[in-house]
Amino acid sequence: MAHFDTEYQRLEVSYNDSPPGGDDMLVHVPEGVKSQWHHIENLDLFFQRVYNLHQKNGFTCMLLGEIFELVQLIFVVAFTVFLTNCVDYDILFANKFVNHTHNEHETVKVTLPDAFLPANVCSARIRDNAFVIFIMIIAGVFWLHRLIKFIYNICCYWEIRSFYINALRIPMADLPYYTWQEVQTRIIEIQKEHQMCIHKKELSELDIYHRILRFKNYMVAMVNKSLLPIRYHHPLLGNVVFYTRGLKYNFELIFFWGPGSLFENEWSLKPEYKRGGNRLELAGKLSTRILWIGVANLLLCPIILIWQILYAFFSYTEVIKREPGSLGARCWSLYGRCYLRHFNELDHELMSRLSKGYKASSKYMNCFMSPLLTVVAKNVAFFAGSILAVLISLTIYDEDVLAVEHVLTTITLLGVCVTICRSFIPDKHMVFCPEQLLKVILAHIHYMPDHWQGNAHRYETRDEFSQLFQYKAVFILEELLSPVITPFILIFCLRHKALEIIDFFRNFTVEVVGAGDTCSFAQMDVRQHGHPAWMSAGKTEASIYQQAEDGKTELSLMHFAITNPRWQPPRESTHFISQLKGKVQREATSGQQGALLENHLFTSIQSIQSESEPHSLIANLLVGPPSIGSFQFGREGHTAPHISSASDVASALCSLSPLSTSQHLRGSYTSTHPPRSDGRGLTAARGIAGSGTDARTASSGSSAWEGQLSSMVLSEYASTEMSIHALYMHELHKQHSQTEPARHTWHRQESDDSSESVPEESEVLIGLPRSSTFPSASARQHPYQDQASLHSSGHRRHGGTTDAVSGGPRAAHRFSRLPMGGWAEEVRAGRHHETVPEEGTEEELPPQIHKEPQIMMKLGVDIPKNILVCLSCG
Amino acid sequence: MNCRSEVLEVSLESRQVDEAMLALLHTILLHRSTGKFHYKKEGTYSIGTVGSQDTDCDYIDFSFVRVSSEELDRAMRKSVGEFKDALCNSGSDGVGQISLEFYQKKKSRWPFSDECIPWEVWSIKVNVVSLANEQERQICREKVGEKLGEKVINIVEVINRHEYLPKMPTQSEVDNVFDTSLKDVQPYLYKITYQITDSLGTSVSTTMRRLIKDTLAL
Repeated sequence: MAHFDTEYQRLEVSYNDSPPGGDDMLVHVPEGVKSQWHHIENLDLFFQRVYNLHQKNGFTCMLLGEIFELVQLIFVVAFTVFLTNCVDYDILFANKFVNHTHNEHETVKVTLPDAFLPANVCSARIRDNAFVIFIMIIAGVFWLHRLIKFIYNICCYWEIRSFYINALRIPMADLPYYTWQEVQTRIIEIQKEHQMCIHKKELSELDIYHRILRFKNYMVAMVNKSLLPIRYHHPLLGNVVFYTRGLKYNFELIFFWGPGSLFENEWSLKPEYKRGGNRLELAGKLSTRILWIGVANLLLCPIILIWQILYAFFSYTEVIKREPGSLGARCWSLYGRCYLRHFNELDHELMSRLSKGYKASSKYMNCFMSPLLTVVAKNVAFFAGSILAVLISLTIYDEDVLAVEHVLTTITLLGVCVTICRSFIPDKHMVFCPEQLLKVILAHIHYMPDHWQGNAHRYETRDEFSQLFQYKAVFILEELLSPVITPFILIFCLRHKALEIIDFFRNFTVEVVGAGDTCSFAQMDVRQHGHPAWMSAGKTEASIYQQAEDGKTELSLMHFAITNPRWQPPRESTHFISQLKGKVQREATSGQQGALLENHLFTSIQSIQSESEPHSLIANLLVGPPSIGSFQFGREGHTAPHISSASDVASALCSLSPLSTSQHLRGSYTSTHPPRSDGRGLTAARGIAGSGTDARTASSGSSAWEGQLSSMVLSEYASTEMSIHALYMHELHKQHSQTEPARHTWHRQESDDSSESVPEESEVLIGLPRSSTFPSASARQHPYQDQASLHSSGHRRHGGTTDAVSGGPRAAHRFSRLPMGGWAEEVRAGRHHETVPEEGTEEELPPQIHKEPQIMMKLGVDIPKNILVCLSCG
Repeated sequence: MNCRSEVLEVSLESRQVDEAMLALLHTILLHRSTGKFHYKKEGTYSIGTVGSQDTDCDYIDFSFVRVSSEELDRAMRKSVGEFKDALCNSGSDGVGQISLEFYQKKKSRWPFSDECIPWEVWSIKVNVVSLANEQERQICREKVGEKLGEKVINIVEVINRHEYLPKMPTQSEVDNVFDTSLKDVQPYLYKITYQITDSLGTSVSTTMRRLIKDTLAL
């Protein structure tokens, strides 16, 4: 091999020791690895842990929770073994007399320890029982696994804890006061200095969401495209949804992380699944794998079943005894959570949304009382009640009645019976309006099938809704049945879908730089997955296979853009959002002539009372459409009500928009400055407020925009905005699907109809929210005040650390920019609060700070009530 | 994975394999090596010099520049030799992949061993062709030379981008970033692995390890 030296040779002198004349040479200063958080290997897990720690409210809570879980496990097993083997039930039931008494004639009290078998007998019984030993061994193995996992988790989370403290600079004690959005903002900021992700200089919100929710997005998409076998048509029961935790666990095991799954690791799909060439072969492989997992499930079924039963018994008996009604209560089913979830929606966002819709939903479900059942229930309750009354009165007369065998049992059973019957008897004084309730529900849950609209009163709709919102009892029952049914679903249903699943993962996986393989639906790209019936007509290029159902793409995009105002969407999405907002604006102005009066009145109410805007807004909005809607459901079929209701929503949105724009602006400010540069945010907000229509509300709101509180308030505003947007988009969608052919007439009618129909309704609107909200606002002052003081004290504690240094001068600077006007008073109050935080007690806080959260809290709760009140008045 | 990966593909004759691999790997390492660090007292350091050397290939019309370090060259030749043997003995159609992975070590707490976190992986996919006569070999010799030239430019382009590199370490941490075992040059920590297509499926041990890790991380 030819080899010749060039002139660039190494200096031979410096072979072994430092270069000669070190002073003359270039000298470098090492940057060092200041943090241990640069270049994290598994960012998926890392972000998930950061999120989990935030949701579990810090390290200590989490540690305690996990320890208790371990202890609980031992307790369940030990207690069960004890009950089955070490208790002499004959003594307990007094079939056998205790024989340790010296005096045979004396009646002896049986004590609990008498019923216990002695230790040696007990252990002998356990040793003889092979089944019990088997169960105990399995439980032991399971527990050891949990223990190892626990230790491993603790080590991992300890690091996350120090990440919070050292890198994010959030002390653990203050963690509960931070919203996730704030934590996220900090993560994005520190990416610039720590370079946790090496692909990009900067992270975006979407990157973090993608990593935390990678698999959940896939599940949501699969449920959305009805790929998973969770809906069945049963000959007797009709359409049934069966989706339990066990089934979900198996799905995830098969697709995402189990041995031989489709994913190579957390962030990438195996390369062979990305190529279309050998899809049949891969489908065959997947189907055999599903078969094996199904068989394994079948074999483990008895163990899982026993565990489920024991666990359910121990966790629910106490609850049922305490409040028997809880079984009749409802909860959002697992399927519902999957169906209602947006793409890129974190657990806490989903849960808060669903919880807000809970009241309305249970009210809606309670609307449907079977008249037949009611008659039966009334009579059964009568008979049971009379026997119960007699027994109770006898007992009161002489308590020895209780000692008669089975009297106590009868009383208890009769009591339960009466309670159950009573739940079937509707309240006499309740008025139900399913259509409006469904609208309120929609404002929170954001999704519903098209055919529900206008059919809210029908049993079919109720049954379908109950798939999303099931009885707790049904939930527990399904969980108990799950171990038996799951293997069969896997073997007989899922296996046939193997090819579709392979195709799904190939077609809907995109590789995103800096995030790995993600579900393409989760990109929320209107062009690729938009549905033409959901406002993305003309923009979408998706085939029917690629379109997300139920407007999932569009609503998810709106939701994500609203919850993360700092996020910069790609161009098409920005276009979509701005177009939607433009549409809102246009319709608002077209409906404005009519709505003008109403708006004036509202602002005057606000200026007097400084009553929260969004609340009355929602009330206005939600009372508005249905009152016209009742015309519409008379099936007259003319389109005028659509327009006015849509424009009503639009005008509501529009009057909310000064807030949202200032929120956006604040967002853009804080992304360039550290988050606590509130002075800037304030001036920005003020700038908008000055130019905006509703200066008063915006500026009064701005005094509360400080620290944590501001973020909480903002996120509440965001959820309100999203609710209204969801309603608006559904309204538009309805128009689209109903008036598609009659588009021309629709346009023509818009100009004259809206001006006539709105004033009529506005008369109704003005009076009602005021009469209904004011009493409740005053009556509910106290609980919310507590809530508010909690927030503000949290804020204060937090502010004490940083604002103590720079609070004074900055505050002065900030307030010097405020114009002297109607709200000088609250400026003073604000400064007082800012500069003398130690002296300020809860009562001295400016009223606005109390108000904002209070009103927002009420939003979720009061709406249905308002509507009911309004309707019963009207 | 939180690391960059670059893939290069070449097809060549079996006798050209080791020279071509050496050319590519050395080119990458030339840009991923520094002189030895000499730490001073105040937490500063000076960097020693690195010589470079032209190497001509026998079976390819090509010459490349490499770091003039015999130790590094020996290490390279050893791994490339192993790769070539495996490729020749595999008996299959001669498709294989050699990858050069740069990583950094991260100290972790007691129960875990030190993690090696890769930040850049270069994979070279090799496709071995067999040629019938001398004339074809001559053409191949030139063609592969051209191809390698392109790849080298490709590599330099990638390396010139401003992307993540581990930060310059302090004295105590230098072993976590750089391979300090060599006497005359100091490349970033690297690892050379190869795969022959037949065994592309992951081995049993890695599957087991993943299974355990997965169950732990549930």
